[in-house]
Amino acid sequence: MSTLAEPQLQTNPRQAKPMHGDTEGDASQAPTLNIVLESNRPQTATALKAIAENLDFWYGENQALKGINLQVPEHQVSALIGPSGCGKSTFLRCFNRMHDLQAGTRYGGVIHLRPDNVNLVGPEVDPIEVRMRIGMVFQRPNPFPKSVFDNVAYGLRLRGIGNRTELAERVEKALRAAAIWEEVKDRLNDSALGLSGGQMQRLCIARALATEPEILLFDEPTSALDPIATAKIEELITELRSSVTILIVTHNMQQAARVSDYTAFMYLGELVEVDVTSKIFTNPAKKATEDYITGRYG
Amino acid sequence: MAHTSHTVEQALGALRMHVIEMGGLAIDQVSASVRALLERDPKLAEAVLSREATINNYDLLIERDSITYIALQQPVASDLRLVRGITRIAIELERVGDEAKKIARFALQVAGSGDDAPVHAVARYLRHMAEVSVRMLRNAVRAEDESDIELARQVMAGDRELNDEFAAALRQLMSHVMEDHRFMQATIETIFALKGLERVGDHATNIAEQVIYMVSGEMSAADAEE
Repeated sequence: MSTLAEPQLQTNPRQAKPMHGDTEGDASQAPTLNIVLESNRPQTATALKAIAENLDFWYGENQALKGINLQVPEHQVSALIGPSGCGKSTFLRCFNRMHDLQAGTRYGGVIHLRPDNVNLVGPEVDPIEVRMRIGMVFQRPNPFPKSVFDNVAYGLRLRGIGNRTELAERVEKALRAAAIWEEVKDRLNDSALGLSGGQMQRLCIARALATEPEILLFDEPTSALDPIATAKIEELITELRSSVTILIVTHNMQQAARVSDYTAFMYLGELVEVDVTSKIFTNPAKKATEDYITGRYG
Repeated sequence: MAHTSHTVEQALGALRMHVIEMGGLAIDQVSASVRALLERDPKLAEAVLSREATINNYDLLIERDSITYIALQQPVASDLRLVRGITRIAIELERVGDEAKKIARFALQVAGSGDDAPVHAVARYLRHMAEVSVRMLRNAVRAEDESDIELARQVMAGDRELNDEFAAALRQLMSHVMEDHRFMQATIETIFALKGLERVGDHATNIAEQVIYMVSGEMSAADAEE
């Protein structure tokens, strides 16, 4: 697989007031745009957060993943797309060893987590340790039947943080990061189950963020939400990448286009193509990708 | 009302800013090319020619960013009209840049000509047509920037004035060439310059139509009158 290119940078609108008038003929006043067409070229090598190499996965006799190679760039959003059964959720779940909860499953190959290069799927590695570093948000919001505060404090208490002031600070920080603080700050002791679906999902994101994971996995995080709640979660994902590396599985291609920096297309347990999202959605290299994203699949 | 998504807000802001900058440059190009022609200033003509690439770069930049924006954000309604309008305005501005380039080339050719050259016989018309077409273009770009439909409608009204001036300049040139056949080639070139300014007015009109569509969703039928 080729090295990933830096995603195209969004040009910032300039602050200067646009000119309407002609200043007549001074060549030095013309903006020069030599760099214009260079901006979608790689500028610096992107640091990698995780690298999957020849990753295989079996449910019993059934091989669900076949030799996946994927580089996950740090502080970027990488999206996994593909038809149902292509292995995208299976792949995602390898990152926090969710499959260990099911008997008869088996990993092959490696997923190295940077910077210490621990192999996430190595049998010698404790899945609990892995889940401390890699958080996950699921399709349906699944808050605990506890208060808003206790939901977010749960993981912190598990890690032995008992100091009330510290707990309160970290809970607030996580709720703010998940863009839900303003909505729940006056009802921290109310049951989380009284929140709306979109709020519950943002609470679950806050719960995952509280323990400051290095990677956050999203498994179709908005498929149970209405469009407004979806837009809020998508905006949140875009903001969160400055502090955490994000891997998202979505069956909604438009969502992958909107929120991700990189997109990987999977089919029948294999990774077909991965590239900068703007490249995938304007000019993918593989015909299978083109067929899928343009709705010509199947 | 602002978008929930900052990415959308930022992408649209950048596209708008680029097309306004491109418009400012195209306006400069037209007025500088005509000034180079009338004042027999080859250095100014060269400056116009050297800036042509920048206009083309803006066109490519807007083309690329808008197609990426459409692919990634799937805009609808006013967002869709905006991004489509901006790409079409960029095409018009790129053609304005081409007209300025042609006038600048002509300016280089006639930089050493005498006062009896046909271009100077119609200097008054050239100057006036440049004024009118640049005003139309400036108002069209401003209408885009301020989403001002009323201003866009005014731009479209200016087209008739420009066409009348063009017809009057042609009559003047006809009598000039009939008096002195030596200037046949130079007369034809001069007509092209006048026609170029008349085209700038057409491009400004097209931009104004795009603004009306972007803001109101109304397709203009002004094209059908041409």
